[in-house]
Amino acid sequence: MTEIFTPELLDRCISCGFCLPACPTYGLTSVETSSPRGRINLMRAIQTGILSEDDPTVIEESSFCLGCRACEQVCPAGVQYGALLEEWRDRLWRGRRRPWRLKPLLWAVNRKSRVHVLGLARRHARTRRGSGESAHLMLGCFERALYPQVSRSASVLAPELSAPVAQGCCGALHAHNGELERGNELAAELGEALPGTIVTTAGGCAAHLAGVLGAARVRELSQWLAHRDGAGQPRAPREPRPRIGLQDSCHLRNGLGVFREPRELLAQVGEYVELPSASACCGAAGTYAILRPNDSARVLDGHLDEIADADLDVLAVVNPGCYRQLQQGVRRRRLRTRVMHLAEVLTSLGGA
Amino acid sequence: MVVQERVSPTPALVQRLRDRLRQAVGAANVRDDAGALVTYATDSTPLARGQPDLVVFPATTDEVASVLRLADEARMPVIPRGSGTNLSGGTVPTRGGIVLVLTRMNRLLEISEGDLVAVCEPGVRTIELAEAAAARGLLFPPDPGSHTTATLGGNVAECSGGLRALKYGVTRDYVLGVQAVLATGEVIRSGGRLVKDVAGYDLRRLLCGSEGTLAVMTELTLRLVPAPESSGTGMAYFADLADAARAVSRVLASGVLPVTLEFLDQVCIGSVEDYARIGLNTDAGALLIFGQDGDAHAIERDMRRMAEACAAEGATDIRIAGSDAEAAELLEARRAVLPSLSRLEPLTILEDATVPRSRIAEMVQHIQAVARRHGLKIGTFGHAGDGNLHPTVVLDPADQHAVNSAHEAFDEIFAKAIELNGSITGEHGVGIVKLPHLERQLGADHVALLRRIKAAFDPHGILNPDKLGS
Repeated sequence: MTEIFTPELLDRCISCGFCLPACPTYGLTSVETSSPRGRINLMRAIQTGILSEDDPTVIEESSFCLGCRACEQVCPAGVQYGALLEEWRDRLWRGRRRPWRLKPLLWAVNRKSRVHVLGLARRHARTRRGSGESAHLMLGCFERALYPQVSRSASVLAPELSAPVAQGCCGALHAHNGELERGNELAAELGEALPGTIVTTAGGCAAHLAGVLGAARVRELSQWLAHRDGAGQPRAPREPRPRIGLQDSCHLRNGLGVFREPRELLAQVGEYVELPSASACCGAAGTYAILRPNDSARVLDGHLDEIADADLDVLAVVNPGCYRQLQQGVRRRRLRTRVMHLAEVLTSLGGA
Repeated sequence: MVVQERVSPTPALVQRLRDRLRQAVGAANVRDDAGALVTYATDSTPLARGQPDLVVFPATTDEVASVLRLADEARMPVIPRGSGTNLSGGTVPTRGGIVLVLTRMNRLLEISEGDLVAVCEPGVRTIELAEAAAARGLLFPPDPGSHTTATLGGNVAECSGGLRALKYGVTRDYVLGVQAVLATGEVIRSGGRLVKDVAGYDLRRLLCGSEGTLAVMTELTLRLVPAPESSGTGMAYFADLADAARAVSRVLASGVLPVTLEFLDQVCIGSVEDYARIGLNTDAGALLIFGQDGDAHAIERDMRRMAEACAAEGATDIRIAGSDAEAAELLEARRAVLPSLSRLEPLTILEDATVPRSRIAEMVQHIQAVARRHGLKIGTFGHAGDGNLHPTVVLDPADQHAVNSAHEAFDEIFAKAIELNGSITGEHGVGIVKLPHLERQLGADHVALLRRIKAAFDPHGILNPDKLGS
């Protein structure tokens, strides 16, 4: 029998159930089958042949999971759920079971040249490739087309970074959507295109790159800003101080353990307000908002309630998927809150 | 471990029942897909697995009653379940049937400061009640290790203990009233909001720890107490677990009734530090966590006395937590010991043998001797103050020799517990795991009485078969 999952990863879970309250889809359903422990039991069942890979519940649950990895944070046994999910989708979403909406997305970012085209019409950051720089700004794939102002702001905040145009996608999209191997190749290619430290404005990309290239080579922007030399002089905040909240990036927080830095930076330019669900997935979850728009909106609803209750001036995000998700949600509800990337918040409020 | 021979109901019968259940609770709330059945085949108990025929999610007492009437008519087993965190196989559907999941019944109906009670449905999680009570300046003391996940219905059905049991007692001490549905569908109430109430047999107490074998609880009235003003937590390291155990006896003899008295041996310290990274000394042989709550003066006095008792038994290092956050971190780490142990080997089998608190040192030494004799890695932790120990074997399930040795070792540990006037289970329940040992502790006459009580509640034996009263 071919093994779908790495046995050591699967063996780790002792079914204690500590993950249940952390899981957004268990929160929506209260059904074990839609919890991390339940999904691991499904994985075990297909690994041992108790369930077929074609089982409709298996297929449904592999896609219903947001992949936010909140379960890993509360798992005392150290289960690497994110790695298991990648193996699961790698197996299940290959070929005919791949959701059709995914194909054009993955195609668009599969080659460096196509990613370049994505950014052609937009004024994202770009610098001539310098020879001496040891740190580079990653431009992202969809981010450079959808939110070019993010890399421009990042360049203002961190002029020491070079931003060469000749760089592709980090491969996270592939890795999380059933093409693990290609996802790892793309990360390696990006590692070659941008030697030295890679600084990214996308939490999801940071976690994927760190997984392939090693955490030492990757910094998410807030990490870079908080820890670079000369950091830490607080700017004089504007009065009255705007009320600023944050939506964590799941993979940045749950995968890389980065959550203090963006809060500290935001607190320098405004009144930082911790939303009760700041650390919980907003439902964007990479391609999830596109593949399962209804479930994605259900996950988002509670966040929008909290944003409205907190009457925020600004909600900061640290990942392009969350950006799109929250911007659309805030518009739909006609809230007055402005959704901005952390880099934009710091440049527009910090007087940089 | 326990593989029960399954008498399969015919597919036609299951299908007919499924359709009638769908009419009763709504189509979406009855699952019979293979995937759902797999995920409700187990709980948190290692190696214990059944195979349900249906999973049903009722939302009201009436729906529970309908399900039970239909199941009773069809003679179909019904296994009530909350979050599935129990450790004795108590919610494993060994004979198939219906897993009755009560997590949709999750409304916290009332917190009354006047009557000092909470009224809730069984699917409310322990921590949700604890937090809601705390917001009103009240305390719901039972706090099992799984309190973030486990439901109150499950807590009552298993009579959960937790870290505060020594001072505040266990779940049973907080159950004032229950509403329950009998196997044949009638709804009864026992007790209520009263502290004094002797009308009838004390059925609510009988349902505590009944493990879903007598009735399905659908509403709970739970006692709350005023929250203590403040609390203090400290820790003491020892060279050996037996030293820590002697310190426990000394603390209890010093006139202090601590709110927390927990110990961990070296194996447990190492794995929990690996998870929580809070700076525990992994070289120490044992760690004793002690705590008191109340007014500031009492805390100061008792913490000093406990520290002195630890010092007198040779504690190598004693520290008092500097803040509530530090104390909370330490207690959360303690709760995570069991799952953390799984970092050592894929399989962890734990027991919860309990002895009178004066015999703890003796029991600890016995466990250590058993581990040595069988060449097993046993991590021991537990609620030292109430004599409730959790010796946990970590092993590779592929190593059949080790699995057999583990069972022999637990057999010897149970025997010792009974010899010391203890119990084979303090708080995890009998379930399927300890049922074979139950008669050894209770005797034949007692077990026969359990069976007659079971038959009175559940004439056709549909409720959680193969468990208590079987």
